[in-house]
Amino acid sequence: MTMSCDTARDLAPAFALGALEPAEERAVRDHLATCGQPHPEFEAFGGIVPYFDETVELVEPPASLKGRVLAAVAAEPRPRARRTARAGEAPSGGLATGTAAVPAVPIAAPAAPVVPLPGGEAREDRTRRRSGAATWLLRIAAVLAIAGLAGWNLLLQAQLGSATAYDRAVAAVLEVAARQGSQTAILSGDGGRGPRGIAAVGSDGSVVLAMRELDPTVGSQVYEAWLIAPHGGPVPLGGFQVGSDGTASFATRATAAKGVIIALTREPAPDATTPTLPIVSKGVATAPSS
Amino acid sequence: MSETGERARRGPGSPADDADREVLERIADGQLDALEELYDRYRTMAYSIALRITNDGALAEDVVQDAFVGAWRNAARYVEGRGSVKTWLLSIVHHRAVDALRRRRPTSELPEREDVTPPALTLPDVWPEVAGRLLRLEILSALRTLSDVQREAIELAYFGGLTQQEIARQTGTPLGTVKSRMRLGLLAMRRALLGAGADAGEGEPTLWADR
Repeated sequence: MTMSCDTARDLAPAFALGALEPAEERAVRDHLATCGQPHPEFEAFGGIVPYFDETVELVEPPASLKGRVLAAVAAEPRPRARRTARAGEAPSGGLATGTAAVPAVPIAAPAAPVVPLPGGEAREDRTRRRSGAATWLLRIAAVLAIAGLAGWNLLLQAQLGSATAYDRAVAAVLEVAARQGSQTAILSGDGGRGPRGIAAVGSDGSVVLAMRELDPTVGSQVYEAWLIAPHGGPVPLGGFQVGSDGTASFATRATAAKGVIIALTREPAPDATTPTLPIVSKGVATAPSS
Repeated sequence: MSETGERARRGPGSPADDADREVLERIADGQLDALEELYDRYRTMAYSIALRITNDGALAEDVVQDAFVGAWRNAARYVEGRGSVKTWLLSIVHHRAVDALRRRRPTSELPEREDVTPPALTLPDVWPEVAGRLLRLEILSALRTLSDVQREAIELAYFGGLTQQEIARQTGTPLGTVKSRMRLGLLAMRRALLGAGADAGEGEPTLWADR
């Protein structure tokens, strides 16, 4: 049922305050998206509401929350690609701009791969009546489909295994990061791009690292982790190899000063004593803000 | 950066907001250090709002974590004309906190909220210039111009996560009266805030004010 402009105006204050029932809210959004009439009351009421946020009593979050948030974000895939610009919005090269009061189109979940499966009985009957050549073609297609399914399954399992391994590594980092006196570092390549991850340095000397998007190592190559003190030379922490999934976890023990840089380099062989540039990924270890 | 000091000065269009937009662009580009910067700027307000709504420290932490993950995922969807980055971020926190609160109520139907940019939180016409200069004390002072029942209706809705029907039931007030209190309360708030920033010389819109 189409909502009238008068009804929409009547619901504007509650809409701005988020006090509509979901069905009402959807109806208002639909109305705003399709109505040709101006509805300045929505912008006006909506503009007031954020100022209620300024009235809350300020409470500092626990220091450990930062590590939790950063670890949770580090475990996420890269942000979604910029959406295609809609009318009234910026092109995809920058943040969108616009003044429309209607909601953005929700991002659809990625479609699941569709694998053709055998049909029902009627299809089977039709298949039986086909010629011998067609039957053979269908058999071959079925075999290929089964092989494809098996391959897809293996791929999914590999991806799942990789994600699980990385999640476990992040959880290990998080465990150390949550301890009193620990420092946390977010590692990334130049300009925040490239291989990234999170590391925690515990006050007891434990150092744990979770990384993703690393290029696989080949032969004797290793990634070497380094501690670089603000006024000191790089101290090697140890090396690790990386498979095709690009993820890695690493744990060792070391003494780290406050503000130490944790860096990764790619070395031709284990036990490097000086780093081979460039630095692949790095981050500054900081204690959570109090 | 001292978030408290920045609290109400980060009005839309301010240099601070330009800096926020730059940070958000870097987040949209996948730069983790930018997300850390955003967290450092707004952690206190984010947590305070989440705590105010949920009244549960552990749940508030979950909400803040969830909100920053949401900001990370959806940074590219921020629409500049709809308000400051701060407003955008805190609205995510608010919505996540209300959703968390409603999940505790078994009878509540949760809205579909993959879209984290609430369309209502927009800053139209001259409002940004006026409101951006307001300080917390002026905002609190504006809040005090509302009658008790207007403030109650707005607080139950905005911080209590109740729908207008639920407010009517909970307070034993007719729905029409609840709607009226919300409308008049918001108008009083706007009038008081515009008064606090009166040097902009803007009158109150009448198109919808007398409805």
